[in-house]
Amino acid sequence: MSPILQLRGLQRRVGSTEILRGIDLDVMPGEVIGVIGPSGSGKSSLLRCIAGLDEIAGGSVQVEGRATQPGDGAIGMVFQQFNLWPHLSARDNVSLALRLVRKMPAAAAAEKAEAALAQVGLGALAARKPAALSGGQQQRVAIARSLAMEPRVLLFDEPTAALDPELTTEVLDVIRNLAASGTTMLVVSHEMGFVAGLAHRVVFLDHGQMVQTGTPQVIFSEAAEPRIRSFLQTYLSRVAWVQG
Amino acid sequence: MMQALQDSLVATAQGLPVTLAIWIAAVLLGMAGGFVVGALRFFSPWPLALPLSVAVEAVRGTPFLVQCFLLYFGGPFIGIDLAPLTAGLLALSVYGAAYFSEVFRAGFMAVPPGQLEVARMLGLSRFQAVLRIMLPVMALGVLPSLANLCVILIKETAVLSIITVPELTFRVQGVGTATFAFAETMLVLALVYWALAELTAWGARAAERRIERALAA
Ligand SMILES: Nc1ncnc2c1ncn2[C@@H]1O[C@H](COP(=O)(O)OP(=O)(O)O)[C@@H](O)[C@H]1O
Ligand SMILES: [Mg+2]
Repeated sequence: MSPILQLRGLQRRVGSTEILRGIDLDVMPGEVIGVIGPSGSGKSSLLRCIAGLDEIAGGSVQVEGRATQPGDGAIGMVFQQFNLWPHLSARDNVSLALRLVRKMPAAAAAEKAEAALAQVGLGALAARKPAALSGGQQQRVAIARSLAMEPRVLLFDEPTAALDPELTTEVLDVIRNLAASGTTMLVVSHEMGFVAGLAHRVVFLDHGQMVQTGTPQVIFSEAAEPRIRSFLQTYLSRVAWVQG
Repeated sequence: MMQALQDSLVATAQGLPVTLAIWIAAVLLGMAGGFVVGALRFFSPWPLALPLSVAVEAVRGTPFLVQCFLLYFGGPFIGIDLAPLTAGLLALSVYGAAYFSEVFRAGFMAVPPGQLEVARMLGLSRFQAVLRIMLPVMALGVLPSLANLCVILIKETAVLSIITVPELTFRVQGVGTATFAFAETMLVLALVYWALAELTAWGARAAERRIERALAA
C-alpha cells in the first residue's frame, strides 16, 4: 500500500527563523497520526504547511502522489477557533462550498449538509446560527463542514483547546468516530489520554524537528529521549497536582 | 418672550424638513462613498490606498466648520460656485464619507482571518470569499459604529447654518436675532436637537437589531 500523504524534507522559514527543519513523514490510508510537542514547537505550522496555508521553504507535500494546494479538496482542516461563518446557519455553513465549489443544486447540498451534521450528532440543530450554539456544537459544525467536502486527509489543530473542559468530550467523541470509520487524519492535541487512545502513531515535535515517532506505547511509556520525558512530565505533574 | 417661543416653533417647523433631508441624503451619500473609499483603502495596493488615506486624514483632521467655509467661500476662487444647500450637502457627505470609510476599513480588518482561510481551504474563489463571507461578516461588525455615526451627523448639520443653509439652526437663530431672545431660542434649538438625536439613536438601534437578526440569529 502506498502512503496517502507524503512529506519529504518539509521546511518552513520566516525571515531567518527556522520553524520546520526538514520533516519526513508517510501517512497510510486510514492512519491516525497524533502530533504532540511543546508550545511553539511547530505543530500548527506543520499542519498549515500540509494544508498549503503557509508557504514552505523547501521539501514537498504530496497527497496520493500529487502536490496539493488549498481548495483542491485533498485536505480538510479544523481549527482551534472554529471559524464558523456567523451569518450562516449550521446547514449553510456546511452547504456553502458544496453549492459554490462543487456546484451542487441547493436542495442536494442542503441534504448532504444535514447528513454531515447528523454524522456529528447535530441533525436537529441545522437551522441554528453559530451564536445560538455552544462551543462544542460549533466545533462539531466545523468538523461537518470539512467532512462534507470529503477530503482525503483531515487535519485537526488543537480542536478542543478553545473549549470549556466539559465540552471537550463531545468533540473528542466525534473525532474518535471518524478515526474508527477509517478517516485519515493528523491530530494536534494536548489531550494526552485522547491522543494515546486514538493515534496509531504519535509524532513528537520540538523546535521544528521530529524528535521521535512511534506507537503511543513507545512515545508515552518507553521513550528515553529526555525532551519527550520532560514534556510529558509537565502533563503528569499537572494531573498529579489536580488529583492532589 | 411668548412671541419668541412661538416664532421658534414656526422656525423649527420650517427648518426641520431641510435638516432631515440633508441628513438623510448625506448619510446615504457618505455611507456609499465611505464604503467605496474604505474598500479601496483595504483592498488596493498602496499607490492608490495612500492618497486616499491622506485625503481621509485631511478631512478628519480639520474642523467641519472650516471645511464648509473653504468649500462655500473658497470654492468660487477655483470655479466651484455652489448654492448653499448644494455646498452644505456636499460638505456633509464628504465629511461623513471620511468617517464612514474608517469604519468600513476597520470592519474589513476585523474579519477573522481564520474564517477566510476556511473559505480558501474549501475551494471558494477570492471573489466568492469576499462576497459571501467577508462582506456579511464585516457588516455585522460595523453596525453599531454606523448607527453611531448617523447620530453624530444629524448634530453636525447645525454647522451648515454658517453658510446660510436654511436648516433648523439657521431658522431658529434668525428668530433669536429678530427678537433678541437668544437664550430662549437657543434652548428650544438644543431641545429639538436632543430629541432628534434620541430619535435617530433609537431608530438606528432598531435598524441595527433587525439587520443583526437577519444576519446572525
Ligand atoms: N508567521 C510567523 N512569523 C514568525 N514566527 C512564526 C510565525 N508563525 C509561527 N511562528 C513561530 O514558529 C514557531 C512555531 O509556531 P507554531 O507552529 O504555532 O507552534 P505550535 O503550534 O507548536 O505552538 C513559534 O516559535 C512561532 O513563534
Ligand atoms: Mg499551535
